[in-house]
Amino acid sequence: MGFFPNEIDRVDGRAKVTGTAQFSYEYDIPNLAYGVIVASTITKGTITSINTKSAERAPGVIAVISHLNMPKLKSYEPAADDDKQPAIHKGFKVFQNNVVHFNGQPIAIVVADTFERATYAASLVKAQYKIEEHHTDLHEAIKNQKPLEGNPDNIYTRGEADAWKNAPVKIEAEYEIPYEVHLPMEMHALTVKWDSDDKLTVYEKTQAMSGTQGSIARVFGIPPQNVHVITKFVGGAFGSAGSTWPHSIATVIAAKKIGRPLKVSLTRDQMFTMVGYRPKAIQKIGMGASKDGKLFGITHEADANTSNYGEFREGIVHSTRSFYACPNVTTRYKLYPLDLSLPTYMRGPGETTGMYALECAMDEMAHALKIDPLEFRLLNYAETDPERNLPYSSKFLKEAYQIGADTIGWKNRNPQIASMKEGEWQVGYGMGSGIFHSGRGAAKVGVKFSDDGSLILQSGVTDMGPGTTTSMTKLASETFGIPANKIKFEIGDSDLPPGPGQYGSQTTSALGSAVSDASVSWKKKLVDMAKQISFFHTEKIHEADLKDFLFENGHMILSEEPEKKLSYADVLKYAGVPKLELLEDSKSVTQDKYITFAYAVHFVKLLVHPVTGVVKLSKIVAVVDGGKIVSENTARSQVIGGVVSGIGMALTEEGVVDHRYGRWVNNNFADYHVPVQADVPHIEALFVNKPDPIVNPIGAKGIGEVTMVGFSSAVANAVFHATGKRIRELPITPDKLI
Amino acid sequence: MPEEKIDQPDKKAALHNARRNFLKQSSFLTALAIAPPSLIKAADKNLDEKFSKYFEQQSLKLEINGVSHELSVEPRVTLLDLLREQLHFTGTKKGCDYGQCGACTVHVDGKRVLSCLSLAIMQNGKKITTIEGLADGDKLHPMQEAFIKHDGFQCGYCTPGQIMSAVACVREGHADSDDNIREYMSGNICRCGAYPNIVDAIKEVKEKGGTI
Amino acid sequence: MINFDYVKVSSSKSAIEAVNKDATAKFIAGGTNLVDLMKRGVEAPEKLVDITSLPLNKIEEDNGIIRIGALVPNSVVADDDLIIQKLPLLSLALKAGASPQLRNMATTGGNILQRTRCPYFYDTTMPCNKRQSGTGCGALHGYNRMHAIFGASESCIAVHPSDMCVALVALNAKVVISNKSGDRRTLLADFQRLPGATPHLENYLVKGELITSIEIPVNDALAKNSLYIKVRDRASYAFALVSVAAALDMDGHTIKDARLAMGGVAHKPWRLTSAENFLKGKSASEANFKQAATIAMKDAKGYGQNNFKLKMAPNTIVETLKTVSGLS
Repeated sequence: MGFFPNEIDRVDGRAKVTGTAQFSYEYDIPNLAYGVIVASTITKGTITSINTKSAERAPGVIAVISHLNMPKLKSYEPAADDDKQPAIHKGFKVFQNNVVHFNGQPIAIVVADTFERATYAASLVKAQYKIEEHHTDLHEAIKNQKPLEGNPDNIYTRGEADAWKNAPVKIEAEYEIPYEVHLPMEMHALTVKWDSDDKLTVYEKTQAMSGTQGSIARVFGIPPQNVHVITKFVGGAFGSAGSTWPHSIATVIAAKKIGRPLKVSLTRDQMFTMVGYRPKAIQKIGMGASKDGKLFGITHEADANTSNYGEFREGIVHSTRSFYACPNVTTRYKLYPLDLSLPTYMRGPGETTGMYALECAMDEMAHALKIDPLEFRLLNYAETDPERNLPYSSKFLKEAYQIGADTIGWKNRNPQIASMKEGEWQVGYGMGSGIFHSGRGAAKVGVKFSDDGSLILQSGVTDMGPGTTTSMTKLASETFGIPANKIKFEIGDSDLPPGPGQYGSQTTSALGSAVSDASVSWKKKLVDMAKQISFFHTEKIHEADLKDFLFENGHMILSEEPEKKLSYADVLKYAGVPKLELLEDSKSVTQDKYITFAYAVHFVKLLVHPVTGVVKLSKIVAVVDGGKIVSENTARSQVIGGVVSGIGMALTEEGVVDHRYGRWVNNNFADYHVPVQADVPHIEALFVNKPDPIVNPIGAKGIGEVTMVGFSSAVANAVFHATGKRIRELPITPDKLI
Repeated sequence: MPEEKIDQPDKKAALHNARRNFLKQSSFLTALAIAPPSLIKAADKNLDEKFSKYFEQQSLKLEINGVSHELSVEPRVTLLDLLREQLHFTGTKKGCDYGQCGACTVHVDGKRVLSCLSLAIMQNGKKITTIEGLADGDKLHPMQEAFIKHDGFQCGYCTPGQIMSAVACVREGHADSDDNIREYMSGNICRCGAYPNIVDAIKEVKEKGGTI
Repeated sequence: MINFDYVKVSSSKSAIEAVNKDATAKFIAGGTNLVDLMKRGVEAPEKLVDITSLPLNKIEEDNGIIRIGALVPNSVVADDDLIIQKLPLLSLALKAGASPQLRNMATTGGNILQRTRCPYFYDTTMPCNKRQSGTGCGALHGYNRMHAIFGASESCIAVHPSDMCVALVALNAKVVISNKSGDRRTLLADFQRLPGATPHLENYLVKGELITSIEIPVNDALAKNSLYIKVRDRASYAFALVSVAAALDMDGHTIKDARLAMGGVAHKPWRLTSAENFLKGKSASEANFKQAATIAMKDAKGYGQNNFKLKMAPNTIVETLKTVSGLS
């Protein structure tokens, strides 16, 4: 039992601390072969030849597969109008042809009988290329290239366009974030076994089981149910496992070709080029306000990159439309295709990037207005959604601000910039807010209750770390009225009833709603049974329904005659039914009368060493309005995790591409600095914990994404408060502060 | 000075040069010429395979979690890959393979080391403890208990390395303050960001005292 | 990684003989750098000679000299009572480097011989004169924020990554080297080389020579005021942007003797001799420390992304001197 008296420990905790939790590369299948992906060493051009002879001759090598000896696949044949399609809509299919789209692109897979032999043989594969000029620099692209056409998010105007310029008090600033890479600790890996010519089992690191099923099925033209996906544990992902990537398809193709089970893990450097990253974004914000601190206009422009073979869009500027009550808002969003791999969603996608800029700009404006940054935000607090003119289903952001300010001791903040000191260190307080949309998606849950009193719930979702099985077990315990230790929540198998993908902070809402609905359906069936058995017999029993019973601690109790109390198990036994099973199909709900967001506020106190430029975080408070918190123990960990990701974004993380070669140069954990233990102080993770009455029956909004959104601005703002230096280019490394 | 002693586990030194030649020339005939007749017979079916196994592997004795193992490995096999791929002790994790993340931390003769940068053959005669060897049967090690209690993980992938490192941290005497715990646990990256909970778990084990 | 021959030896003599037999053979002990480089294909020895059984694992004091065997792990040196008492600078520097697990593996000899962490050196598809002569220096006009500001050349601007060596150079440590004909000693400061036109040559160890120990003269007065400050991109487990090792022999406020060396700024630990000379006989004051830093920076040169070091380095020198002298 952890911090919260009514909480349960992580139900898969024992498996994780004993090393028995099984990840996708850890299935011992007879005759298993090892694959290693060979990557391109140029950025753009065509492969003229691949020398695979020495690799094929190396000991233990089973096959080397590339576009030259790819099995023919119908799905790989070009569409009839292929010539007319622009490259950006064609996508990239692994081993389809000799075209190189980016440096580090999979160009071959080497399969051998051991890991060492496969790895060595892979180093012997040498490709020759016809090299074409490449472009990987976003700054250059903005100068020289046209943005991608047909982007529906290009422009938005509310009120008068660019009205901020006409306000009495104005600020304008440009903010830049570098490439950030997910880098989960478990490198992407999969194990594939073809069970017959058109059926296979795939142990894959994925956030979305049915997505993986569908992607593989499409490549081979087989029904999705022929692809049995198993994902019992996911070693982190943060968005990187939301797609089925080329290396996975390459593995499935190779396993079929060699007629043997095969497993592949990416290497750490391949994690930078083969499974996406957060796009680089250069943002400009113009903001205008009245002298008494009312926002008059905001213009938020973002330029970001995508890849030459695919369009990746995210809502960088969206939150600016809805966060503050401001009559005139303009947003522009431009995408520039570069010769890099396709970016993808990364924790708080879009919002994390956009709110960093917006919340820094708010701080700059508060400073210009000489108003306390928190007060400035409250002055412009949106009571209804300014973008769609709809009420919020619930919004407890004000409460969150108050809790955060009280806990950090915001009142101790001297409004004077660079005024506070602890010894040699300059002291700064800063804050930032986060927002992420919530809703209710579809999910199916299977219910299996046995007459021994145990409950099995099943859904084909995966758990990359937030603790879905734990929170759902706790929720089921509350809604079914069954002790948590009698409940087993089974996930991670595509044969189970399909659940949502674990992204967009939707799992808890969708799956939780399904669990809650399932408990109602299940109780109704129980009531029907109870009505048939003599134990509950009363005069009016035939009229009884759900509300006439209490469901507690494994027992149903007749409300009016509490002495009529029978365990669920006995209800089944008396009714002569060994198992009570049902499948709950919980539909997605689109609200048209309300808008739902989850919110986070971040307060930090930090120290800056003026001589060496070192930043030390000394106190962090994160407060989340996520509706009802289903499982505080795991939710608290998730908030802490989001904050740690935010620390990385603010202070240490920067993916670097050497544009001369189009190649990542710091593609490892020694040079790409994710925060380590010594970077992270104690973190207060707090919740408003008030249910949202509209969004779903459990009142919970997802929190995984929002916990990171806005954190980096709190740090940047605190650095400004400490030093008077406004660093607008993340990360804020020591060199920028001396 | 003692005479030169080449601790060649169960392998004739003479074969070494032969093996090198075999590898260098990659020539079947050369290999035949130097191979003992029994090997040639055995090689009839799967010639290349038998040859390379004979020439490439060396024998090795390890005690893993109290159990003695006699093995045969290529010298290039790391302790991490030996544990995971040959012995199926998959509790020890590969997070980078370059000594930059700590996920592969195990104890060798009681010291925490990175198994990804340790050649298995160099551990001959040593005692290895992995996460699988930490609990006492069904009874979890106090550090494992504390990690569960303080929710010192999310995805669980770095967890075995964190726990092996945490146990060593306390044993080394480096768990005497929050700051020291943070510094001496900085070789174990947790991308989910469970760091503060890990500090709490270690502190509790340290404060409870006793032998761990 | 290629497969290779492996032999384990039990004496320096047999080690040297074994390595001499094969053109590409290398010694291996901790392996933290060599195994990593072999995985990347940067190093590909066909034979490894395991020297971990050699009797080179003692720390001893003898006649005012502390001798550390080449095989003593970094963690053992860092936590050794004698070292903490008499050579605290060395302990501090070691604790600032790598991680506890790596320090348990890495040896004293190996730490000296570790190679640069320049990304162009590590990536075999990139140009690097150190790895492949004549291919150019990728960092010179590339990603060079971690790179050298002292003693670099057009051929190579890489830095030596060690923290331990920075302290050792400040402490006048000598390297003891065995070869076929016996032992020789050289100052560590002279043992490591600047890149010049031959960046692949990193030190004056020749094939068949083995570092067997390090000898450091004890100086109790310097030990009293020792400090190692390392500035890095994250709080731990990162290489230095710049680091400063300082030891002062103080008589009241007067500096009788000073030792200063920097890390993260050159192809080898950078001893600041002229700054040391300036400080001798001076009083401990911010003005004098600033002057010393200015002198230290005389020949510094930035290469673009690392220009910040031209400011961070003198700042850190002053900060270290102020703290170690008790001024702040």
